[in-house]
Amino acid sequence: MTDVPFPNLSVKDPDAEGVLATWFVTDGDEVAEGDLIAEVAVDKVDVEITAPAAGLISLLVEEGDVTTQGTPIARIH
Amino acid sequence: MTLTTPSQAATRRKLSTSKAMVEAIAHEMRRDPSVFVLGEDVGSYGGIFSSTTGLLDEFGPRRVLDTPISETAFIGMAIGAAVEGMRPIVELMFVDFFGVCMDQIYNHMAKIHYESGGNVKVPLVLTTAVGGGYSDGAQHSQCLWGTFAHLPGMKVVVPSTPADAKGLMISAIRDDNPVVYMFHKGIMGLPWMAKNPRSVEPVPEDAYEVPIGKAKVVRPGSDVTIVTLSLSVHHSLDVADELSADGIDCEVIDLRSIVPLDTDTILESVGRTGRLLVVDEDYQSFGLSGEVMARVVEHDPGMLRAPAGRVCLPDVPIPYARSLEYAVLPTRDRIRQAVRKVVNA
Repeated sequence: MTDVPFPNLSVKDPDAEGVLATWFVTDGDEVAEGDLIAEVAVDKVDVEITAPAAGLISLLVEEGDVTTQGTPIARIH
Repeated sequence: MTLTTPSQAATRRKLSTSKAMVEAIAHEMRRDPSVFVLGEDVGSYGGIFSSTTGLLDEFGPRRVLDTPISETAFIGMAIGAAVEGMRPIVELMFVDFFGVCMDQIYNHMAKIHYESGGNVKVPLVLTTAVGGGYSDGAQHSQCLWGTFAHLPGMKVVVPSTPADAKGLMISAIRDDNPVVYMFHKGIMGLPWMAKNPRSVEPVPEDAYEVPIGKAKVVRPGSDVTIVTLSLSVHHSLDVADELSADGIDCEVIDLRSIVPLDTDTILESVGRTGRLLVVDEDYQSFGLSGEVMARVVEHDPGMLRAPAGRVCLPDVPIPYARSLEYAVLPTRDRIRQAVRKVVNA
């Protein structure tokens, strides 16, 4: 089991919040390591999130949700 | 160079429309060293609607050129490069800016092949962002595809989905004619815009072509043919889903290309349904909606069992104020009312 955290995009502010902008997978999808799974935004900077492992993905936040850096956004089983 | 049809069954990987466009350009740049990209903010910024994001990193500044704000100069430069054998993709940031560079586009890009007696080719793709819906005012919200389609010598393509955006881009790059590639900001899947749920969809990973000049029946139906394109395809599909609950069965045709226009697909559909509604985010008069109706009437006016309808932008500048802008755009409400009128329900 691998957690996918919201990435640390702001060094100055460890509690910085960002938005889960786009999910490129749906809950329960099978993903391969390196697949594009999401795009997140902090202060107008967009960052692509790729799968750190292969498996079945569970999404823990919804598109548009505001999340703190480091919080798990998905789990790969 | 292979002409392949995407195998949807084998595809699960999803992309937004903007990423699908970038993937298509990158495919062709890897395959063909004569392909390059130029325009305002296409390099380090990645295109203001993310149509070129990441290309500078992979291909470097000799093949991804940020240009000064002089559309006449850099579109003219692209035409010159195309004439000399390169295959440029040149971005006009907003189609609304065409006024300052139209001499290059329609007196040079569109006519060199003809005026040279067919001896000189202009294999160029002119990409440009179109459409409104996000309060950007009268000079940043127009579609204007009817204007480009009206002038002979250019192909004009207008994708509505990620998969078609990729396939039409590859076809446009490989085409020896100048192709105007018009992408609506509302289909791109951009995080900072109102998101259309169909802007992130499975896209085949290999290179493939979507044929230019071929429309697609995106929803089969029997009561009325809705001919539409670009973002309005999605509004029309939403309305078709709603109206099916009331027993109204809409067929929706996504034109995908305007030049050449796939008249056969329109005629075949209207021949079955006997009713026609055109939904077009461009201005109403002297444009695409009238052209579609003319093609039907020229073929056989008896095909229509009811007067044809159209939902377009009324002939006014596009308002900035949100409430006023949405009063002129082809919204789901306007489309729904128009369908009911055409089917007399």
